[in-house]
Amino acid sequence: MIDTVEKIYEINDDGTLTNNFSNVYKVVFQNGITSFVPLDEANTDYQAIQEWAAIEGNTITDSGGVE
Amino acid sequence: MSEVRVDKISPRTESYISVDALSHRNLIINGDMSIAQRGTSATGLGNGDNGYHTCDRWRFAESGSPTYEFTQTQSTDVPTGQGFATSLKMDCTTADTSLATNDMCRIQQRFEGQNVQYLKYGTSSAQSTTVSFWVKSNKTGNYNVSLVNVDQSRIIGNIYTINSADTWEKKTITFAGDTVGAFDNDNNNSFQINWGLLGGTDRIGGDSSSWGANTDNKNVAGQTVNLADSTDNEWLITGVQLEANTVASSFNFEPHDINLQKCLRYFQKSYIRGEYPGATTNFGMVSTARIQNTVSNRPTNVFFRPILRATPTMTIYSLVGTSGSVSDVGTSGGTHARDEAVSISGSVSQQGLPYLISVSGLTAGDGFCFHYTADAEL
Repeated sequence: MIDTVEKIYEINDDGTLTNNFSNVYKVVFQNGITSFVPLDEANTDYQAIQEWAAIEGNTITDSGGVE
Repeated sequence: MSEVRVDKISPRTESYISVDALSHRNLIINGDMSIAQRGTSATGLGNGDNGYHTCDRWRFAESGSPTYEFTQTQSTDVPTGQGFATSLKMDCTTADTSLATNDMCRIQQRFEGQNVQYLKYGTSSAQSTTVSFWVKSNKTGNYNVSLVNVDQSRIIGNIYTINSADTWEKKTITFAGDTVGAFDNDNNNSFQINWGLLGGTDRIGGDSSSWGANTDNKNVAGQTVNLADSTDNEWLITGVQLEANTVASSFNFEPHDINLQKCLRYFQKSYIRGEYPGATTNFGMVSTARIQNTVSNRPTNVFFRPILRATPTMTIYSLVGTSGSVSDVGTSGGTHARDEAVSISGSVSQQGLPYLISVSGLTAGDGFCFHYTADAEL
């Protein structure tokens, strides 16, 4: 089961964030496993994220990139 | 000159298998349960544990808020003399004698729409399918098997009976084709076959004897067994074949490499055979060249072969089994020194993982190594 979801942004070679969403979500499951889920409608974990986010109280963390 | 004389030529009357149907006739992948890339045992399966745990392609599916738990294993308990070496076993470890009305638990396999077009669903020529399998349980009684046309939300079900406790029995069930609803022609989940393990009262009372809307009460219609009513309970299955026909042919044994190749479309890992995700091991690891600077985007050159069904969910493990991390090996060449948090970007595809991003803590001259799983299951 999903515990947390966070949007991943691309980074520059110097380690600074860009403002480009990488189309990948970092997901921490309740069993402690951390996985990276692509924004792909055919990916069943992405489908599960959409269902999870639709439940009241669940929020995808978006720390934002930088200009 | 040779001469052939016959007294009579008669048409063959018994059912037969066409030559076309002999190749790849089994829709089921890993029907002999011989491939188990994720592990050979998974404990505590219950509420919220939908997914793939041991034998490849075999999905644990539950709904409701159950309190029961099962251990799933790749077992070596098999029917004698049939050529099988492994089975899938569900062993109840926490009992629930009073299921909630909407509880349900099934073992299932899912199929891509593009792989079942030849069943001609949605036409008057829709093909019948026949499932055959070996099954064993201490719990005698009626169990449900169903087919689901996912794209059209339609279901058909039937019952098989385990007659003798603790005895391997072969079951064969034929289902009519669905003349109403066609499958989407894509790489998504269009078709399912399900084996019921239990169902609450809201899940068992419907009539699924012919194709119809997939309502909750048809999910495991007619199931009388609650496999979770005692921790003495277990259920095993192997030799599963689903084919387009009205008769069951003998099980289509495949070489290990062919079976594995089919499974790899849905799940791949770096770990060698016999080592499972999260293990502490170097065998199979991805090893990168020592970095010359501290740039954050790190080439990995991981290629998926065969190409995966869809862009996969990636789980990266350090060599000591920490997910979300790689092993910083310093200048040692392959000895784990410490975990370093890692991330990946949109560069991941069905073809591979070109690079990792945001590998923190590395300094010039360090190398890093990791394991991965790439999951594109249905």
